[in-house]
Amino acid sequence: MNTTTSHKVSSTLHKVPPKKGSLWLRKGNKIAPYFFISPFFIIFGVFGLFPLLFSLYLSFHYWEPAAGLSAMEWVGLENYVFALQDEWFQKSIYNTVVIALKSGIPQHVVAIPLAFFIHTSFTRWRNTVIGVYFVPYITSTVAISLVFTTLFSRDFGMVNQVLTSLGNFTVADIHVLSWIFPVNNVDWARPEYTKDMISFVVFWRYVGWNTVLYLSALQTIPKDLYEAAIIDGANRYQQFWYVTLPLLKPMAFFAVTLTIIGNLQLFEEPFIITGGTGGIDQAGKTAAMHMYLTAFVESDFGTASAISWILFMMIAGLTWMNHKLLGGSNEE
Amino acid sequence: MASVQFSNLEKNYGTTPVVKKINLEIEHGEFIVLLGPSGCGKSTTLRMLAGLESISGGDIYIGDELVNDLHPIERNIAMVFQSYALYPHMTVAQNIGFSLENLKVEKSLRETMVRDVAEVLELTPLLDRKPKDLSGGQRQRVAMGRAMVRTPEVFLFDEPLSNLDAKLRGQMRKEIKALHQKVQTTVIYVTHDQVEAMTLADRIVILNQGKIEQVGRPKEIFDAPKNVFVAKFIGAPEMNIFALSNEQMFSDFELSNINHSGMSIGIRPQNLFLNKKEVKGDQISFIDAEVTGTELLGSSLHIECKYQDKKLVVETATIDTSIKGDIRLYFNKTQTHLFDQNSNTIPR
Repeated sequence: MNTTTSHKVSSTLHKVPPKKGSLWLRKGNKIAPYFFISPFFIIFGVFGLFPLLFSLYLSFHYWEPAAGLSAMEWVGLENYVFALQDEWFQKSIYNTVVIALKSGIPQHVVAIPLAFFIHTSFTRWRNTVIGVYFVPYITSTVAISLVFTTLFSRDFGMVNQVLTSLGNFTVADIHVLSWIFPVNNVDWARPEYTKDMISFVVFWRYVGWNTVLYLSALQTIPKDLYEAAIIDGANRYQQFWYVTLPLLKPMAFFAVTLTIIGNLQLFEEPFIITGGTGGIDQAGKTAAMHMYLTAFVESDFGTASAISWILFMMIAGLTWMNHKLLGGSNEE
Repeated sequence: MASVQFSNLEKNYGTTPVVKKINLEIEHGEFIVLLGPSGCGKSTTLRMLAGLESISGGDIYIGDELVNDLHPIERNIAMVFQSYALYPHMTVAQNIGFSLENLKVEKSLRETMVRDVAEVLELTPLLDRKPKDLSGGQRQRVAMGRAMVRTPEVFLFDEPLSNLDAKLRGQMRKEIKALHQKVQTTVIYVTHDQVEAMTLADRIVILNQGKIEQVGRPKEIFDAPKNVFVAKFIGAPEMNIFALSNEQMFSDFELSNINHSGMSIGIRPQNLFLNKKEVKGDQISFIDAEVTGTELLGSSLHIECKYQDKKLVVETATIDTSIKGDIRLYFNKTQTHLFDQNSNTIPR
């Protein structure tokens, strides 16, 4: 605007000279970023990179730790061959995969519709409901495992009480539900139930976590898309199937990846539930437990390291497959 | 094709009324634009018609049918959203055909219908693309295609051009206008852009604070606004309106024979001229003002002036930005607008 007022305004402004830095500031500017970032690199190097590379180095050696570092003996792939041929390791891998599938698949199958339900049905109480589902995730594994061990106790556990009361439900002196529910207490510590019990605890603990993940993804789906779908005649089920599910794909990839990583490294729950033994017939011993026992009970750190790298390769392979299945943007 | 009727239509959010007893009749095939500032209730009204928003009171009829409690799909309407709301994981063809799939239209017929709509909107080469591979204008056309494919009785547009740049907006305006002339379906179009309203509408409905201020043809609203709000809202730059506060003003506008208490007078910037010869008609008058600034808009110049301590804008075709000092502004007295103390127009 060409006005006299604009001249008046500009004449009232004062010129402020740009600040010149001191020599220290100018030279120091080049060093400062490295100085400030160095704590991360030092901590990562000591506690992350070194153990990683040392375990890789260790996996090719036989080592009796009590004899010191000089006692390391190069054995090549022998630790890997031994681990892969070891029956107990094979069994622990089988247990891990079974528990991972039995606890992992229901986590997502339940979490997605549950998140959709919470997202669409709760407004005022949404955060409270989410909080309730999230509590198991932040509760101590020891506490959870102890509670479930009590619940699944043979003689006094609540699970048996409920099941047997259903199994013993009679109509005209006939146990009408005995074909589906037990009439006598079940010994959940028996090998055929151990994996199911662990899977249930893991499922119960992580379903809330996955619900929160899916809920956060649901909140990023524009409301317009649902309104467009309503106008297009989509019912609630069609909205879920054709709008929600496809748009949850990126989060599903992330959540399933976390489940794969977490479940294949499962340690705390089976360790506490089976009292650190793996249970009768090692039915609840996971690969991570086997690795721990190999290292810290049998003091075979070489084989334990080889097991950890075998596990790493399994996780990497499954994550790659998951990427092929669920990875990639919807919009591509 | 159907008529639409709002009868005492109301919407309250809690205790806050946002649409206040609106009454409006829209004819078959008419292009109606709901125009108003943000928060005036225009989008809410459209969403109530679409069935996306519940109504707090009154009735909505499409044709002869009361649709208050009908699901959106039962109302046979289609809507184009401001954000286009295209499904990002579906191709253009799937986006257009989604409603047909929900309506269980046979696949071969569905494909034919999608192709036909794509042909009309020149989308045929894009049918296999996903929304992210389309330009803003193309996305807009897909959104229109999705609305057209069901041959709805009423088209609803919720600020569909506001995400486009000025050039594309102009082009899309023409396309929407051409499309309406082709399909002759009733269109209800919400915007806050008066250019869109003026160029597209058969009739404009001006809304303010949940109430209808004026309904009329674009020219009628521009030339004969019913009140100060409409007079200022329509037209750019907005109409110069000032309270008649002293004898000089009464004399300048030759209003001395009327009781002027609380009245104000308005004149559009385009109706003030620097040369007497430019004024059409014979009832010519003038006022003296002082130039305080200029704003060059390329083909025209806005001159900001002070008249009786009040701000006044003149739009002129001259591009001489050096104009300054005192000037005389000529106008035709018949092109002034007089408003009473309630801000309503006094017929002259």
